Amino acid sequence: MVADLAIYTVVHQPRRLKLPAQPIPRGASIEDIVRCIFDERMNERYFRKVAQYCYYPATRLFLDLVRQGMQLSIGFSLSFLRQAEAWDPALLDLFRELVAEENVELIGVEPYHSFLFLLDLPMFVSRMQGMVDEIERIFGKRPVVTDTTEMCMSADLYDALDSAGFRGALMDGRPWVMGWRESTHLYRYSDEEPYPFPIEGKKTPAGTRGKRTQKLLPAKERESGPYLLTRHLELSDDVGYRFSNQGWSSYPLYADTYASWIANTWGDFLLLGWDFETFGEHHRVDSGIFDFMRALPGELARRGVTTRTPSALIERYKDPERVYHLPLPVFPTTWAGSGGMEFFLGNSAQQAIFQLMGHVYGLAKLTEHPDLLDLAIWLAQSDNLHLIQWFGRSGPEAEVSAYFTPNEWWSLGPNGVIHEQQQVYLNALHAMEPYLPPRLIRQARRKGPARPRRKREVEPELEMSYMARRA
Amino acid sequence: MIELDGAISPKNTLFVLLCFEGPDIYSTAGGLGTRVSELSEALATLGYTTHLIFIGDPTKPAIEHRVDGRLVLKRWSQWISKYYPNGVYDGEEQKLYDYNESVPYHIYEEIVRPALAEGKMPVIMGEDWHTAEVTCRTSDLLHWFGVRHKALVLWNLNSLMSLHRINWGRLNFVTTICTVSKYMKHRMWSYGVNPLVIPNGIPTRHLTPVDQNAVTRLQEIAHQGDPRRLFLFKIGRFDPDKRWMMAIEAAARLKYSGHPVTIFVRGGIEPHGREVLQHAYQLGLHIRDIEARRPNLEQCLDLVANAGPADIYNLRFFLPEEFVRTIYNAADATLANSGHEPFGLVALEVMAAEGIAVTGSTGEDYAISFENAIVTETDDPDEIVGYLLHLRRNPEEQERIRCAGRRTAEQFLWDQVIENLVGKLEFLARKQNISLA
Repeated sequence: MVADLAIYTVVHQPRRLKLPAQPIPRGASIEDIVRCIFDERMNERYFRKVAQYCYYPATRLFLDLVRQGMQLSIGFSLSFLRQAEAWDPALLDLFRELVAEENVELIGVEPYHSFLFLLDLPMFVSRMQGMVDEIERIFGKRPVVTDTTEMCMSADLYDALDSAGFRGALMDGRPWVMGWRESTHLYRYSDEEPYPFPIEGKKTPAGTRGKRTQKLLPAKERESGPYLLTRHLELSDDVGYRFSNQGWSSYPLYADTYASWIANTWGDFLLLGWDFETFGEHHRVDSGIFDFMRALPGELARRGVTTRTPSALIERYKDPERVYHLPLPVFPTTWAGSGGMEFFLGNSAQQAIFQLMGHVYGLAKLTEHPDLLDLAIWLAQSDNLHLIQWFGRSGPEAEVSAYFTPNEWWSLGPNGVIHEQQQVYLNALHAMEPYLPPRLIRQARRKGPARPRRKREVEPELEMSYMARRA
Repeated sequence: MIELDGAISPKNTLFVLLCFEGPDIYSTAGGLGTRVSELSEALATLGYTTHLIFIGDPTKPAIEHRVDGRLVLKRWSQWISKYYPNGVYDGEEQKLYDYNESVPYHIYEEIVRPALAEGKMPVIMGEDWHTAEVTCRTSDLLHWFGVRHKALVLWNLNSLMSLHRINWGRLNFVTTICTVSKYMKHRMWSYGVNPLVIPNGIPTRHLTPVDQNAVTRLQEIAHQGDPRRLFLFKIGRFDPDKRWMMAIEAAARLKYSGHPVTIFVRGGIEPHGREVLQHAYQLGLHIRDIEARRPNLEQCLDLVANAGPADIYNLRFFLPEEFVRTIYNAADATLANSGHEPFGLVALEVMAAEGIAVTGSTGEDYAISFENAIVTETDDPDEIVGYLLHLRRNPEEQERIRCAGRRTAEQFLWDQVIENLVGKLEFLARKQNISLA
């Protein structure tokens, strides 16, 4: 039976698009392009709301619990951290206080919560390494175990995380990936057995190895490719999704019942994974979620279940005999929806947006402008696909998706939301075009402003005169 | 019983005017810019704190105070205008989005809230289709903050442009819709709304007497040595609505019926101008283009005097107001014979200069034919020909019309119009049960 438990929670806020799409002025600066694309006013509004109902009370709760001995792992998207830095530094300090506790492990997360790994894997590797530095700058701790975006995992994603130097990674224990395996063991995908014939890798000129990107942990210091900790789907969703569902047969769920379920699960250890917003936002305070969580560590302890961090679990179970091979699919698995990318790419509207993400990213790369590339990665945020999962669908997944769609957008109507969202990408694409190097060269050749000012018939000092008023 | 102790005054009322156009050259495209500039200035001059939020010149200060600080010009969307140097409607959609999105919060935070704290009633008035959405959003926002009932929100229509882009039901629900003439009111009935009519106005300076020496000289020039020669003037955009063809036809018919004509024309840059002048040429009218750069009145007179004989003088230069008013006064008639005119400010200005305006018969509520103007009812050029020849035969009638026209113009000074506006606002305040201190 399970004796160890890791609790993982991820903090994220999307950078929502501005709908209806704001037309971008011709030849706009990058700052003005960004201003037209994102609805920072709305983002701030949602941020403050979630901070009030979730981030503050839940962080204080977890702070109490970890000080009493519970171990916790937590990840932050940079998308959230940028918002916290801008709009509520006190909240960020509270999270710093939590992360600083010895019982808390910081987990890496794809910085912008984007699907960059579907567009440009090498760039993803580089960004994940950059994320580690950035997270260390903010919290003073360096993650060695990582999540991705929406807990996506696939064969090539695993390889990318291996290249980036992570020691461990989290993924969802979906039956279609796990097959006959339990999600309560430690896995890895890498094949560590020796090959019959040596394989020659690409020769790197001396002195250039590792110059561009600093690996998290050099390969020689890691005994294996990243260890995989698989989230327990049912037990996680009991709290993440079903906790406040009054139609659920196990409603209301109490900590003692839940601790019993955990303690009676077969396997070595168990990973529970939730949005941080589960506490106070997805389940309101009057659902009892805070009381539940406060009581859980005691109930677990009574049943002999110890909470640990993912790194501690790796240390504890890394004996080669207790690490199992998990074949990973090429098509990613995710903790969202029914566990495949169809949650994000399953309808025509999502497919169109994903195509547009690719077009914008490709064009941004052509401009060779780092700020435009950064903008394109923001536009590849998974949330932009998550929020329109409901299009043409119904049922619980569509309800979850619609819940995350900003209320303000619904006045556009479902088709209006889809149309305007696409328009944002089209606007971004056209706004990037002036930054293409050949265009810039031609503009420079023309010397002077982008377009000559039309000669005015009336000079400024005559503004109150007759034709000025009637010109 | 509704109680209303006080009346609207600068002590208890503040105005917020919303308009794309404004007093900057950059912001002026037509009569709307004139209207809103003069209305805002007149309100401030009467003592009302007045905020005018318009698409301003990006090179000018974002906020400018005039009229002892009572007129606050707020140049909106300058960050977009800097990308669009060709005036207020260049980059129109981009500006519209920004205006709709940002103005309501500004009005609530920076204007309405402080005004209510001071015990003042805010009167918010949007102008034309560009401000329909922002006016609705502002009303919604004030409602959200629980202060909508303490403000009057009006929206005024000056033209029939882009009316299909207006959500009339919503606009009618959240604002009091106004327009500038009975003609416009009736046109708007088809949209299911019944606006209040608050006419346009003219500033007091338009009543300044015109220099009679200049008038005499101009008449001599226009007569080209023949005192029987009719002197006509037409000014406005080259727009078919302005019935330029009718005016040109009339000039030609006069000429070929033995009544030679000198007609000064001043159009815009619109492509219809080419058709108008081409038609005049085909009718055998002799056209002279006159070009110059920012001349004063004297130079304008010299320019036409030295231009040589012609039937049509196409004035392709900036006309100073002084010169325009001299023409109004000197001409036998100014052809403001539009087929569609929401109000017809030009004709009123002609009247103010003691000229004779030949108007159309749409929005010119102030014009009474052969009383203070000549009103055409058709697009038949012979109607103009007939009326002009009638006047030629009855010089005493000409004089009477000129005097009556001036008296009419005096009734449309902004002060008078604002009095009308205030009367209507008091009615609206009473309806909303707003108690004015």
